[in-house]
Amino acid sequence: MSEDSGTTKPRIRAKARVVPIAVDDDSLYEVRQKVYPRAVSGVFAHWRWALVWFTQILYYGLCWLPWNDRQAVLFHLVERKFYIFGWVFWPQDVFYLAVLLIISAFSLFLFTAVAGRLWCGYACPQTVYTEIFMWIEEKIEGDRARRMKLDAAPASPRKFAIKAAKYGAWGAVSLWTGITFVGYFTPIRELLPAMFQFDIGGWELFWALFYGGFTYLMAGVMREQVCKYMCPYARFQSVMFDADTLTITYDTLRGEPRGSRRKGEDHRAAGKGDCVDCGICVQVCPTGIDIRNGLQIECIGCAACIDACDQVMDKMNYPPGLIRYSTENAIRQKWDGRAILRHVLRPRVLIYSTALLILCVAFLWSLSTRSALRVDVIKDRRTLAREVEGEFIENVYTLQMMNMAERAQRFGIQVSGIDGARIDGASEVGMDPEQNRSLTLRVRTPMDAAPKGSHAIYFEVKGLDDPDLHAREKSVFTMP
Amino acid sequence: MKLVLVLWPSFFVAGLAEALFFTLVNPHELYLLGQPVDWSPLATYSVGFFAFWFVCAASSLATMFLARPLQEGGSPAA
Repeated sequence: MSEDSGTTKPRIRAKARVVPIAVDDDSLYEVRQKVYPRAVSGVFAHWRWALVWFTQILYYGLCWLPWNDRQAVLFHLVERKFYIFGWVFWPQDVFYLAVLLIISAFSLFLFTAVAGRLWCGYACPQTVYTEIFMWIEEKIEGDRARRMKLDAAPASPRKFAIKAAKYGAWGAVSLWTGITFVGYFTPIRELLPAMFQFDIGGWELFWALFYGGFTYLMAGVMREQVCKYMCPYARFQSVMFDADTLTITYDTLRGEPRGSRRKGEDHRAAGKGDCVDCGICVQVCPTGIDIRNGLQIECIGCAACIDACDQVMDKMNYPPGLIRYSTENAIRQKWDGRAILRHVLRPRVLIYSTALLILCVAFLWSLSTRSALRVDVIKDRRTLAREVEGEFIENVYTLQMMNMAERAQRFGIQVSGIDGARIDGASEVGMDPEQNRSLTLRVRTPMDAAPKGSHAIYFEVKGLDDPDLHAREKSVFTMP
Repeated sequence: MKLVLVLWPSFFVAGLAEALFFTLVNPHELYLLGQPVDWSPLATYSVGFFAFWFVCAASSLATMFLARPLQEGGSPAA
């Protein structure tokens, strides 16, 4: 939606206006005007709050959930293991993390192609914490007008007290957020008592304050600037948009020419559009933009302007939806909801969906068939083979065994591939829960079992308590 | 704001580098100036992160410095 592209294409912006971001070459940013968003209620505000509750109950609560005598979700850096409910992931499982990241990326592509910045508007931590911080601000400092008045007022004990209360409440939320964050890496049920006894490790304290401090800075102080200047997604999301992407759109054809009017006046006859130019859509915007200027990079898709405008339309007895979720094509060709939905299933969306589906199925399949036993066989390179007792050839191997289950297991080991091959010594091994063990095995074959050279040999490891656990590894047996 | 431009992308990349590096390398297997690193794992991870951040920030700073527009006569703009 750049200003100078597509000369013959009808524009949906009636009064497009370029807001310069760079004032000159040296200063990279315009001087920030503090945004005082006005609180808003309505359908989309309810959705936003539902998502705040959902994500934050998840975030603050999940670290307290127990599972088999341990924390259900714990990224235990000290032990280098990630616990997620029944699963234990080892560094060897980084593959799953990579696939999970790819799935997240494709989900983001899909959601963005269908309905724009859903992530930004409803689920991004920046939005969620800003929402919480703005709620605290509104409760302590009052509504938009009172906040502006307070900021403009000279310093006074009352102003100081109000500001101190607000910063104190923000600080408390931030601190708890920081402690919770550290609680995902150090068991929180041990962390918190240690904290109250001032017995917390220096790094734990540091990271709690670091994360808490940045929560405060980003949700309390920087707010929309994070989205405007720091967020990489905001910069590249435009490549995922097309003319059929649902975005928050001001219906220019219906709204313009805007202007004030008396209630009950036949504004159509007076040549006016439905926009009463009350400016409330601008006041509620957390990034301080005017949606009537068209889709802008600053718009995080929070839909606050939709709620605000619908309330005004309701007061004026006009139909709602002057600002609504719509697409560029729909506005231009005056499509109804069904026509918009028909255009959702376009090649881009189908490709993203297919890729996402395949990845998800592969991920779940791989996760459900993941074995808790892992075996690596390493042949001893120092002595390739030796003759023992005048009738056997012996090769030595090291078995790297991992029992990734959270319970002790016994395993039986067998060799096959060469006639008469057997393990000299114990062929059973017991392993503790989550144990890594390396085992030296001597394998003997009769001297005449195979001709001179290298022969394939197979190590079969089977769980004695759990026959589903088995591994078969190939190695080489050398006959001198 | 220029500070953000240096510190933020480097923070981002340092986080990725940290995750990748310590997935592949166990902190107990590290040697510093010939001595095994015997700090607590959390300390190793933390120091590692800040080392990555510092290096990435240095790179961002150098990029910022070189990206400054040249004024007439070839001297960089103030």
